[in-house]
Formats: sequence, structure tokens, C-alpha cells
Amino acid sequence: MTITADTPPARPGPGRLLREVLTGAAVGGAVAAFVVGCVLERASLVVLGPLLGAAYGLLLLATRPRRRREAAVAPRTALARIEALEAAGGEATDMPTRFELSVVPDGAPAFRVEIRQEVHVAELADLRAGGAVVVTYPPDRPERIRIVRRPTPEWEERAAGASLDPAPGPLLGGEAAGYREEGYLVLLGLLLGVAAVLLPLRAELFGLAGTAPARPGPAATASGGGSTTTVTSGMGTVVLGPGRSMLDPGELRAAVESLTERPEGRRALTLVVRERLLTVVLAPSGGTRTGGFDPRSLPYDRLPALVEEAGAGEWQVTADALAGPLVLRIVVTGDGGARTLEADGRGRVLRRTGD
Amino acid sequence: MDWNVILRLWCAVWGVLALAGYGAALAGLTGERHTVRATGRVVRVREPRHGGSRRDGVSVVVAYRDPDSGREVVVTNEGERGTTFSAAWEGREVGIAHPEGRPHAYRFTRVGERPGRGLGRPGLALFLACAGLVALVAVERGWPWALIGGAGPCAVYAAVLLPGAARDRRKRRAELAAMEAVRGRIVAVLRDVSVDQDDGHVLTTLTPVVSFTTRAGAVVTAHWGGSLPDAASARGREVTVHHAPDDPADFTLDMAAERRSWKGDAALHVLTVAVLAATAVTGAVLR
Repeated sequence: MTITADTPPARPGPGRLLREVLTGAAVGGAVAAFVVGCVLERASLVVLGPLLGAAYGLLLLATRPRRRREAAVAPRTALARIEALEAAGGEATDMPTRFELSVVPDGAPAFRVEIRQEVHVAELADLRAGGAVVVTYPPDRPERIRIVRRPTPEWEERAAGASLDPAPGPLLGGEAAGYREEGYLVLLGLLLGVAAVLLPLRAELFGLAGTAPARPGPAATASGGGSTTTVTSGMGTVVLGPGRSMLDPGELRAAVESLTERPEGRRALTLVVRERLLTVVLAPSGGTRTGGFDPRSLPYDRLPALVEEAGAGEWQVTADALAGPLVLRIVVTGDGGARTLEADGRGRVLRRTGD
Repeated sequence: MDWNVILRLWCAVWGVLALAGYGAALAGLTGERHTVRATGRVVRVREPRHGGSRRDGVSVVVAYRDPDSGREVVVTNEGERGTTFSAAWEGREVGIAHPEGRPHAYRFTRVGERPGRGLGRPGLALFLACAGLVALVAVERGWPWALIGGAGPCAVYAAVLLPGAARDRRKRRAELAAMEAVRGRIVAVLRDVSVDQDDGHVLTTLTPVVSFTTRAGAVVTAHWGGSLPDAASARGREVTVHHAPDDPADFTLDMAAERRSWKGDAALHVLTVAVLAATAVTGAVLR
């Protein structure tokens, strides 16, 4: 929108307000998708978050030529008569002050506007009702009008000798109102974006917290996702479905956590892993925390490489800390007989036999 | 999803952005390449208001000839306009820069400032990618690698800067020795009070404004950001001003503090290099 000599300034259109909502929604949705993706360990969401942000960034890039055209328009400078002013007061020297101004642009109709602008307390004495000031505003965004504190000598002289009449017409909302409106719309969009991610996933997200541990009973068995989990008070077993392997990325860690997740910090005495079978002998709960080891501390990322290093064939990994620090023993039985490899708790190879 | 997958993703995204940014800078697509630059002069220095604000610096009127239009343009320094003038005198040369076709978006620069190449954002992206790499190595190989990856490059960087800093220190010492001493007067004390919105803490900043005349005849008005005893009631006080003969903006009211500060900076630099190197060595021993 361009203000011509005979058009008074107007308020921002619905397109700009919609853009504020979309901006908030894109930011909220992108962040929420990334965080929820990390919590649920879902790669698609983790990738979707940044992608959403990038897509919105590209959309903004598409509007760049228009924004450049807007930015190329020089701001309009004009004289204005102060109809009323009201400083907020307080201890700070920069005081938020409300102004009612009659703006008298050269060659354009005068209009009245209300603005809020911070003014240093020492400069307030120069500003009085009925006085003239120099103002500047983008021709197409009069809501961003502001009083010029350091005008050029030419405008300073014009303001000093000016005698301005009050402008007729309604009082337009000023900069503060426009910004407040935009701020609320961005916040609204942000909440909508977060809700759009959270609501469809609420069962998974909040179901995690509500899942009761299956351990205290004599034995509990659960099947789902192609695996079977059996937990007793002293032992837990996970059997994977066909076509899956404990060496698949994240599989072993998920299986261990399904057995030891609750109560938090349950320790293990021995852990045995085969291709599709995990068995964990759990330390007695409620006792001292010095026995056994924390099964979550295993070097999961190193295990596939260690098994591969041990050789080809049927494999079994045993982890225990019975004789001191955590030790992993990998036994592989193949055509050439049995080979073993021992590694420490960080996955560093200690010794090999059967080579 | 494993953390190492997330970190790999992080590194890849920032790495791609950094490459794209460097590519755009090489291709001349950044805004810095489309900046019009001119040199102007201060034609008027406005009197500071006692009790006023130090924000925006000394109030000046600057005139320059716009290379785009060839017209004489007069501007002032209000709001976000680049370099803030803490010292000004009539005739002082100042740099002016604005995007092509947008002279109203002018900003002040240092005279002779070389145009940037638009490498700031790609550099930030590269830094974030490297930080992700360090975190990735630390997750996969153990936390000592975080010490090596984090402190090692910083130690090298700080050590590379050390000779330059020593040269600067010698140069500064010579500059301080060559400074001329003139009498000046505190013509106003600016007062800015801000209130922390969270804890209500009130911060008051007093900025004395000194006026002095150089031997070459320039009448300088300058904000003094250093300490001054009983600054609140300093208006009208006579002071001794030491300033560089060829640049009155380089001045001090406290020569002793200026010398101390440069000694302290050098010691801090050496200490920083030592601490960073020790941290990296610790990481290497523990890995």
C-alpha cells in the first residue's frame, strides 16, 4: 500500500497479520518436531523440524524482492504538532511516553496518530502540548511513526518556526498498538505450531510416563513391535522377531532399557546377547548400588564393530563386572572353531584368542 | 535415535550452510558487495545536554556527497547508525555506507574501513559444524576428546594472535608516550538509569563529557567512558586531557590507568593461552 497525496494512512492488512501467525507456527512447529523427535527417538520428526524451518526460510526468500522494494522506499519526514503527551514515570531515565500527534506531511492530508516512544527524561522538557516536532515514518507503514530527536538543521529550523493546527479525523493506532498486535499473533502461531505436533503424538509422549513397570509380579510378558519381553524379579529376557538383530542400530539399547528403565538405575549382574536374544540377570533392587554394573553404560555403538572384529559365525556377547571393572567377552563359533575377544567397558580390545 | 546420528545431522546441516555462504560470498551475492561508500565531514557538533543520555553518542551533523546521485547530503546520527561517535569535532572525517539505491539506510563507519566480504554468517555456520564434530568425537570416543577438540584449536588461535598482540602493545606504548597534554573542561555529565525487569536492580551510568581544544585548533567534544572521581558533580571541572596528536578521538583523562590496562591485557592473553593449552594436554593424556 502506498500513501498518495490524498490517501490517509491505514492499518496493516490481513496478509501481514496472517504472515505473523505463519511465522509463529513455523518456528513453534519446527522446534516442537525436533524436540519430540529426540524424545521419541523418531528420526523422521528430528529431520522434519529443521526441514520445516528451512522450508519457511525459503518461503521468506521468495518474498525478498517485495521486501527489498519496500525497503528501497525512503521514509517520509514531516512536522507534527503534539496534541497530548503522557510519560509513564518510574526510576529509569528512558521513559515510555504516549503521544497524540497531528502529523502534517508536505503535499498530503494531515492525520492524527497515537504513538508510544521512549524519551529520555532530560528531553521531556522540550516536548510540550502544542509544540512542533519532526517525525519520520515509512510511507506505507505509518504505524511505525517516530519522533526524530536529532533532526537535520533544515528540519530543526522548520520545527522551530512552525505553527501547526490540530488535524481533523479519527485517531489512528500507532506503533505500540501495531507491534503488540503482531506480537500476540506470533505467540498465537507459536502455540498452534506446537499443538499441531504435540496433539497427534500425545498418546506416545504421555503414554511413556504412564506405562507401569512390568517387573514386580512373579513374571510379566509383553509382546509388540516384533519382540517379546519377559521380566521377573531377577531376570529379564527380550526375544526379537524374525529378520531383526540385536546389532541393528539402537536395537540393543532399546531392549536393555525396556528391562531396566524402571525402577531407574536398576543394575545388572550379567548381560548376555545373541543375534535375537537378550538376557539380563538383574541385581537385587533396593540393595546397595555397588554390585553389578549399569547396563545403560555399555559401549553400544562399538558392539557391532567388536563382533565383526571377533570374526564370522554364531556370536554371543557376555558382559559382567564380577571380577572388577566391566568386561565384555565375545565368543564367535564358526568354521575355524571358536574365537574369543575381550574388551573393556569403553569398547577397547584387551585381548584375543583363537586367531 | 542415537545422539551421534543427531550430531551427524547437525554437522551436515551447518556444513552445507557454511559452504553455501562461502559460495555466495565468492560469487559476490552478499549485501556487502552492493554497498555504496563515501567519506563525509562533521559540519556541526551539538552541545551536550547536562543530565541527558549517552545513547547514540555525541550529537553531530554530517555532510557528504552521495556517489550515487552526486548530491550533497546532510544527515545526523540518531538511532542504529553503525559506528557511535564518542568524540567529535567540526571537520572530522567520517565514513558513510549505504546499500545501493537506499541512501536513507545510511550508517557511519570508520574512515578507510575496508568493505566486509560477507563471511560472518558462513563463519558462524562453520563454527557450529565444528562444535558438532567435537561433540560427536566426544560422544563416540570419550569425553577427553571434548577437551582436545574444544581447547586445542582455541589455544592455537590464541597463540597465533600473541605476537600481533605484543606488537600492538609496543605500538600502544609508543602512542601513549607521544600523546599531547592539553587542558579540558567537563561540560556536562550524562545520566542513564536502567531497571532490570527481573530483579528490579537499578543501574546508573554517569558519563562525563569533556571539551578540549587541540594544538591544531580543533574543538573536541567527547564522552569519557573511564572512571572519574565524584563524576556526578564533575560539571565545570578542569581536567588534563592526553590525546594522540593526529587523532583527538584517541584520548584519555587517566594516563596511568591506560598504561596499567595494557599491561593487564597482555598478562591475561598469555594466561589464556596457557590455560587452553593445559586443558588440551590434559585431554590428550586422559584419552
